[in-house]
Amino acid sequence: MRLSAQQEALERYLATGDSVIPHELMEQIQGSNTLPAADGLMIYHNAYRARLLSVLREDFPALHRWMGDESFAQLALAYISAWPPRHFSLRWLGERLPEFIRGYIAEPQRSPMIEFATLEWAFTLAFDAPDTEPLSLDVMSRFSADDWVNLRVYLTPSVRWLQLQHNTVGIWVAAKAEADIPDVVALSTPLDCLVWRHELVCQYRTLESGEASALRLLSDGGSFASMCENLVGQHGEQAPLRAATWLKQWIGEGLLQRR
Amino acid sequence: MSKSNTLGFGLGLRSEYYQQILEQRPEVDWFEIISENYMVGGGKALYFLDAIKEQYPLVMHGVSLSIGGPHEIDADYLRQLKTLADRVQPCWVADHLCWSRGSAHHLHDLLPLPFTQESLLHVASRVRLVQDVLQRPLVLENVSAYVQWKTSCMSESQFLAELSSLTGCEILLDVNNVYVSSRNQGFDPWQFIMELPHGRIRQIHLAGHSDYGHYLIDTHDQPIADPVWTLYSKTLSYLGATATLIERDDHFPPFDELLAELSKARSISANALRAAAPCA
Repeated sequence: MRLSAQQEALERYLATGDSVIPHELMEQIQGSNTLPAADGLMIYHNAYRARLLSVLREDFPALHRWMGDESFAQLALAYISAWPPRHFSLRWLGERLPEFIRGYIAEPQRSPMIEFATLEWAFTLAFDAPDTEPLSLDVMSRFSADDWVNLRVYLTPSVRWLQLQHNTVGIWVAAKAEADIPDVVALSTPLDCLVWRHELVCQYRTLESGEASALRLLSDGGSFASMCENLVGQHGEQAPLRAATWLKQWIGEGLLQRR
Repeated sequence: MSKSNTLGFGLGLRSEYYQQILEQRPEVDWFEIISENYMVGGGKALYFLDAIKEQYPLVMHGVSLSIGGPHEIDADYLRQLKTLADRVQPCWVADHLCWSRGSAHHLHDLLPLPFTQESLLHVASRVRLVQDVLQRPLVLENVSAYVQWKTSCMSESQFLAELSSLTGCEILLDVNNVYVSSRNQGFDPWQFIMELPHGRIRQIHLAGHSDYGHYLIDTHDQPIADPVWTLYSKTLSYLGATATLIERDDHFPPFDELLAELSKARSISANALRAAAPCA
């Protein structure tokens, strides 16, 4: 048997869930008195699943806690079977889990579970997203009038913006704290939630709708003046102060960088 | 290859110890990084990597090159590896003599190769390609194995010797892996080590394993076992001073315990070298 055929036989055996060793593979393998061939192959077979399962447990700790070990393992093994690793780094193993849940879990669990997995994956993405130089309060303090007029910003690369339909954050907080997990509740209006990294530490927070609209306008390339104008309807003459307060907060949180 | 400038005694760099390393500046001669952990856009890993490389020599050790795999060498992986090497400026770049990716997807394990002429030519052509990109010799490590291929016509150590002769690659001798495989497959670990071209051995690895009675598993989650220390001592008496690294990948103990293990390696090395020195 050629090298490539030998490797294909072992790959097929490892990647399928079936622990029965195919005859054509067994014929190629030699064991020893202390470790027979079948036992040696089984070590590799078990290690493949155990390693991937362990990575998914680490990347989705709250989902694991929420679902319980057995249900999570069932989901994870089905996922691994449907989406075997496609990247050289195990860091990307869980990338498609939220999408996989869409086709694997039925409602009413499906929607909150997708949201939950998406929230956890957002932390993984934020953790090692590209570094950048966020806009700082120090730089802002030296702004000229022209700088203010011309200021345009992006969200920093680590920011993930989620719109949650359920009390997902509350469930996530309880699961992380290993506290009693609340029942799933559908929200009357979607809740904006940001996940990002600031000074090496992952952060999250929810935004009330006014702040979310203002941040969206600004980070889509709007000017500070247009953000103020947009706030006049709700905040009247307090609009510039409201806008400045939010801007200061966003900058302090490391959410923005200059365009 | 001259080994006169051995790096001394190092530890695997793991995130669990980043803070302590920077704050305490422990007496470790060098650190070895898992290359893939730093092939990321940014964040904590790269921050600490940059800070620690200012204080210590670094070596890169990869797990995903899949030098013996049936697939084409992953050009994107190689590009990222080269970018990382340019950033780290490591003393050398290592990976494993194995395959970890199949034709369809990544298997994320260090799978053994059949040690045949076909494999030798296959791996040699890929080593040359990698060395051309990295512009340096690749250092390849013997892996722990739980099975052998019946078609093998040479030992892993003979294969490494041939490969090194064909390509100029260097060898990372993992003494624990030799011991684990020798117990599992019933061969003489000392014969394995004697079959290697000693002048091509760039580095030694030491690690712990789990003993299941009839067989051993290379778990890197325990202190180094006595038979591995013994084999290490005997190995050094033949090799002379060689850069030595202790790996720990799970059940992380307090950092002081790893430093104590490193001191033990220093002491065993000193004794072995003293005993091997010719009489005045």
